Amino acid sequence: MTRNSWRHAVLGSMLSLALVQSVQADNIQDFGPQTFGELKSQFGGKPFIVSLWSVDCAPCRVELDMLGKLKQADPEFPLVVISTDSIEKREEAADILQGYALDGVPTWMFADTFVERLRFSIDPMWYGELPRSYFFTPDHSFTAHSGILTAEKLAELFPY
Amino acid sequence: MPMSLTTFKRLCLALLAFLPALSGPVYAQSCEALRAAQGQDQISVHCGGAPSAVFDANGHLWVAFVHDEHVYVSRSDDEGATYSTPVRVNAEPEDAEFNGENRPKIVVSEDGTVMLSWTTKTSNQFTGEIRFSRSVDGGLSFESPRTINDDGLRTGHRFDSLFLTPSGKVYLTWIDKRDMEATLARNEAYPGAAIYYTVSTDMGATFMPNVRVSHNSCECCRIAVAPHGHDNVAILWRQIYDDHIRDHAIAVLSPDGVVSDLSRATVDDWYIDACPHHGPSMVSGAQEGQYHMSWFSAGNLHSGIHYARYDLASDSPADLIKVDGTPGAGHPSLALHKGTLYLVWKGFDGMATPLQMMQSRDDGRSWSEPQTLMTTDQGSDHPLLITSPRGVYLSWSSEEHGYVFQELSND
Repeated sequence: MTRNSWRHAVLGSMLSLALVQSVQADNIQDFGPQTFGELKSQFGGKPFIVSLWSVDCAPCRVELDMLGKLKQADPEFPLVVISTDSIEKREEAADILQGYALDGVPTWMFADTFVERLRFSIDPMWYGELPRSYFFTPDHSFTAHSGILTAEKLAELFPY
Repeated sequence: MPMSLTTFKRLCLALLAFLPALSGPVYAQSCEALRAAQGQDQISVHCGGAPSAVFDANGHLWVAFVHDEHVYVSRSDDEGATYSTPVRVNAEPEDAEFNGENRPKIVVSEDGTVMLSWTTKTSNQFTGEIRFSRSVDGGLSFESPRTINDDGLRTGHRFDSLFLTPSGKVYLTWIDKRDMEATLARNEAYPGAAIYYTVSTDMGATFMPNVRVSHNSCECCRIAVAPHGHDNVAILWRQIYDDHIRDHAIAVLSPDGVVSDLSRATVDDWYIDACPHHGPSMVSGAQEGQYHMSWFSAGNLHSGIHYARYDLASDSPADLIKVDGTPGAGHPSLALHKGTLYLVWKGFDGMATPLQMMQSRDDGRSWSEPQTLMTTDQGSDHPLLITSPRGVYLSWSSEEHGYVFQELSND
């Protein structure tokens, strides 16, 4: 077994354990290098929005507030919320999401310390600034937006 | 899962093979290897969170890092080859922040006083306190940490920077939300936060009352500090202009609380209501009032890592260049030693993080081609450059290589 696979095996088993434990506690899932591709497959042929945030990002809270209200008004709204914090901070993140009524929807948190690769897997052109949002069309071409996403901006960039 | 000695040796060899651009031996080892060899409960520079380093007047290297809600200090008398058993700074655990933009800072005065600052997070609503501690017995023990922000408010006081002037003045600067709280209480808008500072003229025994440098700073980027004469410092930080543009401001601070030369240092036109988590780097130039700056922006005018030389007298940046415009490139660190400027930053090529360096021997007018110092395909900290009268050193922590402290200058 190579060093990396050894490491990933250990990390993977730790993460699966964390996932098993977490299923009862919150709706947060691991975001790994393959996750974004899997998410896109799940939304095959359908439009969706991605919102990236972190617990340390004050402007992100404004966006989460708007998204929480949106999701309450329309529970079927195709929204993917990803925190760029380590999943070790899941309790803190869950607490914050609850404050915006987003604890009921599945969300993701970075579950790999090589964050540069995770960011790249979402968008090679993203510098890491937060909040950051993406608007995927049914054929999965996308538009990116940096900074607070307002309801007006969302309506403009996501006419579905 | 224990690691065999052969595997361990192979790891060490692999590590050395990764360092073609660095001269001399590298003694770092990954925390994973250290734990495999010596047990899981390692408190070490190689396992610690977001280390930072400084040389004292006698050439001893001091490294501060966070481990399990404690700040630790370790000393190396052989420029990073071996380290002393880490000494715990805060006896009581506290949520000391450690990430690229937040780390414990350490300075050592000529009389041997070891001083540290860090930010302790007090909630998940962006509140924190600026903490300070010192050792007056050569790092054997540390005084109980003190909170330096003097407003008594449970609000944001974070992103501290600690600096010791050649004359022995201790400066602490940070991002502060006390004015934001007061303004919001009047139902008025307050973009961003504020920059505050304080100074100790008695090696951290006491600090003067907090002084505001500027309203409306960005909330989430480290502040760069460089000396200005013997007693003063210049600071460079991300500032909000016209409510939405996050470029950089520079100012000179004095030990008696006077802020001067406040001006806009970069005009990148980065129109963004977001947290870049991407602070600048700055060192003093050869002439008084001249500063070498490196920063990140994704602005309309400048996008990527940039360099420029700023002159306080003319209020203008000169020889501005784009260092690296690749998305994923970031977190530059500058150093100046014997007339040579060193600039190190992190890149990302889709698979791995190369640590890049370029040099200028003419005050930033021309630069060498970038060279890759090291590479990693695992998680890593921001790179830092540390200077001593002897040379320039890379201070960099990564999962793969552990804590690397390595001389870069070859004169």
